[in-house]
Amino acid sequence: MARMKFLCDADRCIECNACVTACKNEHEVPWGINRRRVVTINDGLPGERSVSMACMHCTDAPCAAVCPVNCFFTTADGVVLHSKDLCIGCGYCFYACPFGAPQYPRVGNFGSRGKMDKCTFCAGGPDPANTQANFTQYGTNRLAEGKLPLCAEMCSTKSLLAGDGDIIAKIYKERVAKRGYGSGAWGWKTAYRETIAG
Amino acid sequence: MTLQTRIRTIVGVFAIAFAVAFVTPAAAQSVNPTASSVNEEKLLKELNQISGRCTLPNQTACNIEIPANREWRDFQQVTLRWIAAISIVGVFALLVIFYLTRGMVKIESGRSGRTVTRFNGYERFVHWMTATCFIILALSGLNITFGKALLLPIMSPEAFTAISQWGKYFHNYLSFPFTIGTIMIFLMWIGGNIPNKTDIEWAKRGGGIVGKDHPPAYRFNGGQKMIYWIVVLGGAAVAISGYILMFPFYGTTVSGVQLAQIVHGIVAALFIAAMLGHIYIGTIGMEGAFEAMGSGEVDVNWAKEHHKLWLEEEMGKGSPRAKAQPAE
Amino acid sequence: MLIKRTEREARRSQLAASLSVNSSGGMNRRTFLRRSGLAAGGLAAVGALPLAGARHAEAGPVPPAGAKIEIKRNICTHCSVGCTVVAEVANGVWIGQESGYESPINRGSHCAKGAAVRELVHGDRRLKYPMKLVNGQWTRVSWETAINEIGDKMQAIRAKSGPDSVYWLGSAKFSNEGAYLNRKFAAYWGTNNVDHQARICHSTTVTGVANTWGYGAQTNSYNDIRNSKTLIIMGGNPAEAHPVSLQHLLEGKENKRANFIVIEPRLTRTAAHATEYVRIRSGTDIPVAWGIMHHIFKNGWEDKEFIAQRVADMDLVRKEVEKWTPEEVERVTGVPGEQLARVAKMFATEKPSTLIWCMGATQHTVGTSNVRAFCNLLLATGNVGKVGTGANIFRGHCNVQGATDLGLDIGTLPLYYGLVPGAWAHWARVWETDLNWLKARFADEKMMGAVGIPSTRWFDAATLPKERVTQNDNIKAMMVFGHGGNTVTRMPKAKEGIEKLDLLVVADPHPTTWAALSERKDNTYLLPTGTQFECDGSRTASNRSLQWGEQIVKPIFESKNDYEVMYLLAKKLGFEKEMFKNIKVENNQPLAEDILREINRGGFSTGYSGQSPERLKAHMKHQDKFDLVTLRAAKDAPAEIAGDYYGLPWPCWGTPQIRHPGSHTLYNTNLHAKDGGGTFRARFGVERVVKTKVMEDGKEVEKEQRFNLLAEGSYSLGSELKDGYPEFTYGVLKKLGWDKDLTDAERATIEKIGGNNPDGVGWAIDLSGGIIRVTLEHGVMAYGNGKARAAAWNLPDPVPVHREPIYTPRPELVGKFPTYANAQRFRVPDIGFDVQKAAVDKGVAKQFPLVLTSGRLVEYEGGGEETRSNKWLAELQQDSFIEINPADASERGIRDGQWVWVSGAENARARVKALVTPRVGKGVTWMPFHFAGWFQGVDQRKNYPAGTDPIVLGESVNTVTTYGFDPATGMQEPKATLCQVAAA
Repeated sequence: MARMKFLCDADRCIECNACVTACKNEHEVPWGINRRRVVTINDGLPGERSVSMACMHCTDAPCAAVCPVNCFFTTADGVVLHSKDLCIGCGYCFYACPFGAPQYPRVGNFGSRGKMDKCTFCAGGPDPANTQANFTQYGTNRLAEGKLPLCAEMCSTKSLLAGDGDIIAKIYKERVAKRGYGSGAWGWKTAYRETIAG
Repeated sequence: MTLQTRIRTIVGVFAIAFAVAFVTPAAAQSVNPTASSVNEEKLLKELNQISGRCTLPNQTACNIEIPANREWRDFQQVTLRWIAAISIVGVFALLVIFYLTRGMVKIESGRSGRTVTRFNGYERFVHWMTATCFIILALSGLNITFGKALLLPIMSPEAFTAISQWGKYFHNYLSFPFTIGTIMIFLMWIGGNIPNKTDIEWAKRGGGIVGKDHPPAYRFNGGQKMIYWIVVLGGAAVAISGYILMFPFYGTTVSGVQLAQIVHGIVAALFIAAMLGHIYIGTIGMEGAFEAMGSGEVDVNWAKEHHKLWLEEEMGKGSPRAKAQPAE
Repeated sequence: MLIKRTEREARRSQLAASLSVNSSGGMNRRTFLRRSGLAAGGLAAVGALPLAGARHAEAGPVPPAGAKIEIKRNICTHCSVGCTVVAEVANGVWIGQESGYESPINRGSHCAKGAAVRELVHGDRRLKYPMKLVNGQWTRVSWETAINEIGDKMQAIRAKSGPDSVYWLGSAKFSNEGAYLNRKFAAYWGTNNVDHQARICHSTTVTGVANTWGYGAQTNSYNDIRNSKTLIIMGGNPAEAHPVSLQHLLEGKENKRANFIVIEPRLTRTAAHATEYVRIRSGTDIPVAWGIMHHIFKNGWEDKEFIAQRVADMDLVRKEVEKWTPEEVERVTGVPGEQLARVAKMFATEKPSTLIWCMGATQHTVGTSNVRAFCNLLLATGNVGKVGTGANIFRGHCNVQGATDLGLDIGTLPLYYGLVPGAWAHWARVWETDLNWLKARFADEKMMGAVGIPSTRWFDAATLPKERVTQNDNIKAMMVFGHGGNTVTRMPKAKEGIEKLDLLVVADPHPTTWAALSERKDNTYLLPTGTQFECDGSRTASNRSLQWGEQIVKPIFESKNDYEVMYLLAKKLGFEKEMFKNIKVENNQPLAEDILREINRGGFSTGYSGQSPERLKAHMKHQDKFDLVTLRAAKDAPAEIAGDYYGLPWPCWGTPQIRHPGSHTLYNTNLHAKDGGGTFRARFGVERVVKTKVMEDGKEVEKEQRFNLLAEGSYSLGSELKDGYPEFTYGVLKKLGWDKDLTDAERATIEKIGGNNPDGVGWAIDLSGGIIRVTLEHGVMAYGNGKARAAAWNLPDPVPVHREPIYTPRPELVGKFPTYANAQRFRVPDIGFDVQKAAVDKGVAKQFPLVLTSGRLVEYEGGGEETRSNKWLAELQQDSFIEINPADASERGIRDGQWVWVSGAENARARVKALVTPRVGKGVTWMPFHFAGWFQGVDQRKNYPAGTDPIVLGESVNTVTTYGFDPATGMQEPKATLCQVAAA
């Protein structure tokens, strides 16, 4: 069984934001919600690196642990999903998330921030069918069609890898060996409690 | 996202920036950006978190990795639950034991039939408004912490979500009357609640509840003063931390919000435990006590036993609130 | 923060509806889990999937029940990389975008813009119907009314001021067919005042490079850079401007452990991946290039054999280079000699090496000289005409290469034929239009051959006194087809120009800055035209590959495509029968394929003759058969593409029937001419004659020196001529006895063209393609086998010399390195010298101490109207900004994110946000050029027709950019000017 993961090879990432708009395009994510984003570290200095970040679909996901209504579940592929029908918009998952993945339609918590929204690894919602209702809530389910997340498929430099953890770790390892450098599998230790030796 | 946090983030970024700049002073001579690239492991070791620059207006998005966020769940799921469970269940158990051993504190001299006004309508309104809010806030709050362990197994997820969703609405909206009530309590009873010498005496004699003593007290005895200050300070703490949670990231980062939740959770748990005691003593724990907040009129003998100095004051005012009416 | 709520509300109500459906369906926890279990079952196979994943026809928003999903392939409409866009269409609606892994150019990848192109045809903010200004109010009109009124007004201007008073500003966003039609339209209207974005991006490249070795285009390709061992990117930030190219650059860097050198004033996102970053002062590219060459010559690292065989006049360059000692280079550019020595050694000795440049090199008064210096660096090290080498010039727009090729230019007819009588005669033959009729369309025969006014100067030609403009009258009408109004420098002047016009017509998917900048009240028309996704046609990527895009959806709202708009206008002006003689028109829709066939029939000079629509469509169909590195389809690929290079990169010689494969790398002597090999073009004659007067025996005598311009001992693989040779004519063919290889039909065509002098018929005007076919058979290039010119004697500086920018931060250097003398150029006066002198005299550099340079953001493109209207992109860049170094910012008390005023050296100002960053060095600032809609602090949102205002507005950098033009092309100078920044 596959264990789906993301890996952003920062030595390839150029902050082109294709992953961000590909996600918007695929799922028609509204203005203000960014399931994926790109951040540049040491901006403008030699050694600057950009990293594309979204939900990492953690092992033993903290968002799921702190959710007061247990709206999260992990698919057999290791994709962490949630049910918007159950979410109460409390914001706890955002506080527990090391990657800032959960997003809300509204900024404040007053009344409600609305249902939490986050990257689904293009795996839709609790109901795997590609129906209009599911699309509106969660976006498309590309995994069910045998496709991988569009952000990674469209990555301009093949920096963002998505797929089975072992496979993408192997690709990354080969790259590092070939080129002789690698700034790390960003977020892997935090999300999966493992690192990829360079 | 406020300017303040944004500045903080940016200052942070520049702090890293300049650190690197100073490390490589001969930058012009040999600039190999690939060789000097930042490294995740190193950054995490140095700064415990990784932030950078992003173009989104929501600058919280510029934090890409804060491993410590993961640890908050230990508090949320373990520590807080233990604190809350021990304090609330513990106090409850103590009260049960106490009740079983001590029973209801009777008015020793029996009811006099004459009453004296202890709390006027305004005071009682404020008390009950705050109390009602508190109970709903407490229940909906407990639901957030314990609901999925206690309620979810016995109902459908949809029903539990509906309860929690409504609970959250109540929790958020009732926070306002609760806050107002707390402020009013603070203002209207501050006069009688400044600790003084009598409290020391009162405390020495165990408040009279242990044993069968009646240490003298003004309008509020030491125990009540404690409740007062618990309400005022605890109320302030839960209100402030609660509003931070309600409007997150206005001046706080994720860790700030986490801290607010920690404060909110612990204070609320202890608050609830304390209020259990308050409720006990005001109801089944002591004969005649409930009337103070019920009708506002207390029996003079009750007052004599528990608030002797206050009763003397009231009588001495010449326009005694004490009414020569037989109690029914 | 900008948050659009309306849409979200709408979505939420849908969400609520779906919620109720779900809950009535009674989804409890058990179904919840069961279903996720089902999902897992369905996914069992996914773990074994490779990264690319299996393909499936359905994706994106859910198609309506029963709808058939069609896959359409088109090309991204943004930069010049040429990424394939795969669209899923259901019931005429573009419902989803997939990644086209088959394309060897982008392998499924996109940048932010490419991944968001589907939004363009949602068109929330598109212009929806034709509009005109009536007393300052935008009013809806019908197409018929609009075309009629525009046509009548044009005729009135023509009658009063002559045809040259109407300016045709075309677009690099046209398809090849659209660009060609637009150029042809200007010819039929009777003016050479026709231009497009290439003027302001790579006009200097085209001129400089073509004058060096024949053709002014990228010599190799994005893919070929994978072969490079050393690459220099100088004056370019492809990570933001051409993001998908970085896939090839970075993979090449990794695979070859290549030297990746970035020479730039800013530490850009590209520089972040460099192995060597060289920070230079803006506008000192020539000293840096000569500084590198100084080390090369000093150490004998030059490729002596290559120079001897294939380069003319390198000695003249050597003489100039000698002046640029490391000390002098450091004094002028700020780059330490030691660093340049390292760069020089890598570039000259770790080969193959390539030089990549963009607008950082071209957008200067010395733009042409800059690129010439770069070409010399390549020539000196023998880095041209081989894989992994070359001048990899990254063009800007999706079809700026094609639009340039097709003559959307003030100085040439389609495919670089020039404006000489022979060129007009050639195209008149192709068009089957009487040359005399064409002549009569122009003011006079002189104007027919006169180079027009560049797009950088049209407003000067509209506002200057009439006598100072070398044509009958001022510019009175602007016909703007897909060109931003904010990408040209000196916007305050442009605003004056717009206000002076008698007629302004904007044919564009968006109203653009043209519609919003001025306070015009009348005589302004907006014609909604579709994007290239709503249109069939081919476009030429930077690497000269042509790709056929099929219409994805019909033009949305009342939009029409470019072809139809031009047809309707031609019809109104009465020459549609003449102009569309050989092009099938159905329901006012000219057929794109027919237009391309007409281009093929006339496009021999540049090898645009072999790319028939059928061949291009076959390439799109079999994209996956082309190799990633060589771009070539194997011999065993389907017959229609076997052996071809992807997109038949021009030159694709001869007629489509002879099936030339195209030329992946130009001037590559390692390949046979029929395999896409070649030589340097013998474009500049056989020899250069230098006459000098010397004193001999006390008498002045004229001496003549002759320098050979043909290659020596170098020729393309399999050539029957083993030395240099001139361009082919029928006469040359006869001399070699090869004329007997011509077919009768070919000979007849040549003789018909030649009339009295058939021997004079050159290869480029031989409409039969016979001369080219025969020369290819003999392994030789019809355009000759010449030497590249190190010195181009027809340019203002034959050997590039450094000249300080008009507004320089180093006024003390102006004495030694002054700009060009004043002159009347391109029908208008160029007073750059006076402006520079005045700036030095007035101490402008003290008042405006910061260098201002400009560039691209990845999210936006060009003038940005289209991209700033795209909600998926606009969210990512919501404010115009200026990058300023932390030291400069703290001196001025400026915080990051704060509003500031930027004052330009010509006293215009712009209100933008400060982005405090060490990307720029101390004393340097940078602004993106995509913003518009604010002008000197005034929000002009109300000037847009309701509902068509872009989501994000902001100040354009070109409000504060200044005077300065390249004398060879009229290129502007936005990359090196001065400004001051103060907290707002």
